[in-house]
Amino acid sequence: MKKSMKFVLLALVVLAAAALVIGCGGKSDSASTEGDTTTGKTTLTIGMGGPLTQGDVAFGQGAQRAVQLAVEDANKLPEVTELGIEFKTLDGDDQSEAEKGVTAANSFVSDRSLVGVVGHFNSTVSIAASKVYNENNVTAISYGSTNPDLTKQGFKTIFRTCATDDYQGPTGADDAIKLGFKKVAIIDDSSPYGQGLVAEFEKKFKELGGEVTSKQSTQQKQNDFTAVVTKIKSERPDFVYFGGTYAADTGAGALLTKQLKEGGVSVPVMGGDGLYAADYISEAGEASEGDLATCPGMPVELLPQGQAFADAYKAKFPGKDIAAFDAYAYDAAQALIKAVVKVAQENGADKVTSPAGKEAIQAAVAASSFDGVTGPIAFDENGDNTNRVITLYKVVDGAWVAQEL
Amino acid sequence: MFNYIVSQLVNGVTLGGMYALIALGYTLVYGILLMINFAHSEMFMSGGYIGLGVLNLLSNKAVQAAVVARLPFLAFLQSARTFFTGSTIGMILMLLIVFGISAVLTGCLGMLTERFAYRPLRNAPRLCPLISALGISIFLQNAALLWIDNSIPFPSLLPTRDFGFGITPIRIFIIVTSLILLFVLDRFVSTTRIGKAMRATSQDQDAAGLMGIDINSVIALTFFIGPALGAVAGIFSGMYYGVVTYNMGFFPGIKSFTAAVLGGIGNLRGAMLGGFMLGIIEALASGFISSGYKDVIAFVILIIVLIFRPGGLLGESVVEKV
Repeated sequence: MKKSMKFVLLALVVLAAAALVIGCGGKSDSASTEGDTTTGKTTLTIGMGGPLTQGDVAFGQGAQRAVQLAVEDANKLPEVTELGIEFKTLDGDDQSEAEKGVTAANSFVSDRSLVGVVGHFNSTVSIAASKVYNENNVTAISYGSTNPDLTKQGFKTIFRTCATDDYQGPTGADDAIKLGFKKVAIIDDSSPYGQGLVAEFEKKFKELGGEVTSKQSTQQKQNDFTAVVTKIKSERPDFVYFGGTYAADTGAGALLTKQLKEGGVSVPVMGGDGLYAADYISEAGEASEGDLATCPGMPVELLPQGQAFADAYKAKFPGKDIAAFDAYAYDAAQALIKAVVKVAQENGADKVTSPAGKEAIQAAVAASSFDGVTGPIAFDENGDNTNRVITLYKVVDGAWVAQEL
Repeated sequence: MFNYIVSQLVNGVTLGGMYALIALGYTLVYGILLMINFAHSEMFMSGGYIGLGVLNLLSNKAVQAAVVARLPFLAFLQSARTFFTGSTIGMILMLLIVFGISAVLTGCLGMLTERFAYRPLRNAPRLCPLISALGISIFLQNAALLWIDNSIPFPSLLPTRDFGFGITPIRIFIIVTSLILLFVLDRFVSTTRIGKAMRATSQDQDAAGLMGIDINSVIALTFFIGPALGAVAGIFSGMYYGVVTYNMGFFPGIKSFTAAVLGGIGNLRGAMLGGFMLGIIEALASGFISSGYKDVIAFVILIIVLIFRPGGLLGESVVEKV
């Protein structure tokens, strides 16, 4: 018995060691040296952090392609070739998990040719990794994390190109007024996300002269909304604003919609990106028809320079769909590249990766001002993009369709 | 205003009917084994899933096609579909089959869990079967999540029509069916020989055994009836809310357990009373005070009741058996 236990332990140790070797092996050859001058050029690395193999891979892999595209475009620019710079990307797979994000961030910052990072996607991952970037003075620009807290930590090196959840509530209120709605019944799902969303919505909606008939809270995983429905029915609102998520095992927004419509409240339900999912429509069925949701970002075809971006993307990656945040990743990479070029022009290409160069890159990103794919790019004092694009979507014939108001 | 109060009462009674059916499962098991069967909420969930499966087998064209492609001998189901979905008689028959099969299968599942998860622990400390029940609960939830699907839409079978006060066919159906089932169970336990055996077992297992009652079959029967009633509630939930999910038992399970305690755990009529009371309290609390506080209000009432009547509303204050 004891012998076999020892054997099992030994086997475990061997396995763990093997896993360590295999797990870390991939990284060792990617650590390139500073100012690789074999080709007579200075190679500068841009980290691309996102979920690449697991988690929300659609948004990670899409951004990976967008960053690759941005780097290739940059390497063709005359000012870049004149400086003798060549950009390359380094991938960091965070699998949508905070711990893996920190691991990826650590491997980024240990690369001596690194000039900055585009990433990450999930807010929890970005927030966890942001501490590593800040400690190492590395500029990181998130392309898809919408949680406002990311840029409220006081970290000078953290930026983002997408809009935050803060603006969804007010934009929703604005859109509702434009659609002619005056009376709203508000419900939140008791989550921090839902409560934050309805608070911002309510403030703006009242400011614009709207009337709130009632405010109610439901619970996570709740399945019986009949009492809420009866109450709302008696108030006769123009629409219902729901701050929460759609899935039955979280905020249960789809169930709420179904019970509202079946219970005789035949007005649209409006929500944030927590409702903006194809599954919301499939779970709520026909009841979701006409419902509205805001979501940070914009479909590529509606973006200012979206068509040119889409054409280049499709030409380089045939058969790949453009994910919702890819254009934001492209713009994040562009902001970084422009800053690096500016610093290189002022201080020389070989100084870019020095501590002073990193400071200068960060200052240059903070002072960004250019027209990106997603519109004008400039960052406020927190590091958030001042161009806050939020799009309203509506369920039309069983699919979300972007609305222009 | 009157209209509003009645509508909320209708909501509450519908919910209460479901709570009462589930609460019976908790109280039956507690009455006989002094054990809280935490896996009972998953019997409710399993009932919903099985009911939906049978329903799809009888009436869903796509599901039938997929099943018949693998099991050709089931082709007769396809020809029966028009009968089940087309006529009122067919519809009633279909509902009976759905409820019947789901109740029987879920009942068997309940007996299986008793046989393999609880019976081996019957003489162990009371905490052991409780942990075992939690294990079964987690196992069944994950089985539904991994092997079936996390949420499946449930077709609405009854016409959506409001007869006034929010009284719809589905609500009438739930309230009437649960009242009938509650009445039948009450009669069964208080008048039949088997019911007498159940009551005897609940009073004193050893003495009942000495009197020639087969304790094991009485307990197995208890674990059949409870889950079978839970399964009926599970299908109600699917029909009423239009979806079954792997964790659908979570809230109803907690609420029904509360209802059983409120009425006096171990007491059948107490569970029924507690179920309806809790449903109505919840509906009125969220209708008149705040939907966010409805559970707070329900639990405050539970605590007040337990302070003055520790055994629950209809429970006897029994001296703890040592």
